[in-house]
Amino acid sequence: MFAATELNRKNQRTEKLVRILFVLMAGLLILPVLIILTTLVYKGGGILSIDFLFTHPTNGMTEGGILPALLGTIWLVVVALLISVPLGIAAAIYLSEYAPDNWGTRLINLAIINLAGVPSIVHALFGLGAFVIFFEFGTSILAASLTLAIMTLPVVIVATRESLQAVPHAFREACWNMGATRWQTIRRVVLPNAISGILTGVILEVSRSAGETAPIMFTGAVFFSPFLPQGVMDQTMAMSLHLFVVSTQVPNVPEDLPYGVALVLIGMVLIMNSVSIAFRMHLRGKKKW
Amino acid sequence: MKAKFISITLLSAGIALAALNAEARTLIQNKGSDTLVNVAQAWAEQYREINPEVAVAVSGGGSGTGIAAMINGTVDIANSSRKMKKRELALARKRGRDPVEHVVGYDALAIYLHPNNPAKSLTIAQIADIYGRKSKIKKWTDLGLEVPGCKEQQIILVSRQNNSGTYAYFKKAVLGKKGKYRMGTLDMHGSKDVVELVEKTPCAIGYSGLAYATDHVKLACIAKDAESACVVPSVAAAGDGSYPIARPLYMYTNGEPKGEIKSYMDWIYGEQGQCIIVKKGYAPISDVSCK
Repeated sequence: MFAATELNRKNQRTEKLVRILFVLMAGLLILPVLIILTTLVYKGGGILSIDFLFTHPTNGMTEGGILPALLGTIWLVVVALLISVPLGIAAAIYLSEYAPDNWGTRLINLAIINLAGVPSIVHALFGLGAFVIFFEFGTSILAASLTLAIMTLPVVIVATRESLQAVPHAFREACWNMGATRWQTIRRVVLPNAISGILTGVILEVSRSAGETAPIMFTGAVFFSPFLPQGVMDQTMAMSLHLFVVSTQVPNVPEDLPYGVALVLIGMVLIMNSVSIAFRMHLRGKKKW
Repeated sequence: MKAKFISITLLSAGIALAALNAEARTLIQNKGSDTLVNVAQAWAEQYREINPEVAVAVSGGGSGTGIAAMINGTVDIANSSRKMKKRELALARKRGRDPVEHVVGYDALAIYLHPNNPAKSLTIAQIADIYGRKSKIKKWTDLGLEVPGCKEQQIILVSRQNNSGTYAYFKKAVLGKKGKYRMGTLDMHGSKDVVELVEKTPCAIGYSGLAYATDHVKLACIAKDAESACVVPSVAAAGDGSYPIARPLYMYTNGEPKGEIKSYMDWIYGEQGQCIIVKKGYAPISDVSCK
C-alpha cells in the first residue's frame, strides 16, 4: 500500500502554491489591458460619434473630429503594406525555399535580426536622411510609408518564413515527385498551406505601423493639415501623432478629446487583430494535417 | 483565399482613395516653433476658408527644428521664436537658401508659478539668480517666501529642451549673453508641458509663452529692476513694450515670398491674421480692432 509520507505532502503543498502563483502572474497580464481599455472607454467613450470620425478638427483642434488623422493613418498603413508585403514575402520565400545554407544566407538572416532590433527613432532618422532628403521625396506619405515598411519588414519576413517552414517537407517532396518545379510547388502547395501564418505577420505589421509615432513624425506626418491627403506625395496628419499633439502641445483641449483619439486608435488595431484571428482560425480549420 | 486577402487589401486602399476629392491645390510647408505652432495651426485652419486651393501643412518640433528644415530646404515657411543665428544664416546661404525674416507678432514670456505660491512680483535679477549657473537662490525661503505644500522649500526649475527658441530667448534675455542655466533643470519638450508641470508642482517655477496660461496656474508680475513697478504679462503689455520679457515671433521664407506664399503672408499680416494671433494670446504687430 502507498501511504503519503511527510515529504510527499510537502511536495504537493509546494506544487499547489507554485501553481497558484503562476496562475496569478498570468492573470496579472490581463490587468493592464483591462485598466487601459476601461479608462479609455470611461473617459473617451462619450466623445465618440459618427461626426467625431468624419469631420475635420476645428477651433485650434480643440473641437470637431479626427477625419484627416484617421484617413492619414489608413494611407500610411496601406502604402507601407503595399511596399513591405510583396518584398517581405518574396524574401521569405527565397530564404525558406531556395537559399542554400552558406555564409551569404546567414548574412541575410543576421541582417534581418538586426533590422528587427533597430529602435524606431533610428529608423525615423534613417528615413529622414534617405527618403526625405537624399531621394528628395520630401516629407510625404511615400517617405513615411517607406520608413514604416523598412521598420516592419523583419516582422513580415520572419512570420512568413516560419509559416513556410511549418508546411511539412513531405508535401513538397510529393509534389516534386509528380514532376512539378520548385515554383509550381511553392505556388500550389506551400503558399496555400502557409497563408494563415503569413497573414499573422501582415496584421502584426498593420498594428505596429498604425501606432508608431517617431518614424512618421520626421518623414511625413504633420501637426495639422486642413486637407485630406490626395496622393503619396502629400503630407498627412496621423492618429498617433495627433494623440501626441492634442495631449501635449495644444492648450485648452477638453479632457475627453485625447482619450477619444486613443480609443479610436486602439479600437482600429483591436478590430484589425480580431478580424485576422478569426480569419486565421477559419483557414486553420481547413488545414489537412 | 489569396484572392480574398488581395481583395481586402484593395478594399482598404479603395476606402482611402474614395475620400479623395479632386481639388487642385498648392501645398505650403510650415514648420518650427512650439510657441507659434498653435497660431500657425489656427492660421492654416482659417486660411482654408479664404483660399481652398492652398493647403498649409503645419508641424511643430521647436524653433531649431524649423530653422534646420529651412537650411535643409524642406519647408516653405519656418516658424521661430528667436532670430536665426549668423552661423545658421551662413549655413543656409551656403546651401543655396536665402532666409528672409518676417516678424508676425510678439509674445510675452510669462513666468509661471503654482497657485499656492505667494510671490507677488519678481525682478529680472531675481529670476536670473533662480535660474543661473551661479545661482544664489535655491530655496523659496531665500526670497523670503513660504510656499504651502512645498517640502523643504527647494525651488524646482522647469525649463525647455535646448533647441527651443523659448530656451534660447530666456537665456539671452534673463541670464544675459554669457549666462548659463543652472544644472538640474527639468527640460520639457513643449510649451504646454512646462505649464502642466508647474500646475501640479507647488515648488516649481517655469517659463513659457503667455498663450499657454491656464486658470490653474499663477503668472508672476515681472519688474525690470528693483526700482520699477512690476507688469503683469498680457497681450497689451507685450505689444506696447512695457512687459520686460516680450519677444518678437518670426517666420522665415526662402527669399522674398512669392505667389501663394506671398498671399498667405499678406493675409497673416492683414486684420484677419492678426486677430487670430491676438485670440491665441499673442500681441499683434499692428493695431487691430478685433471683435
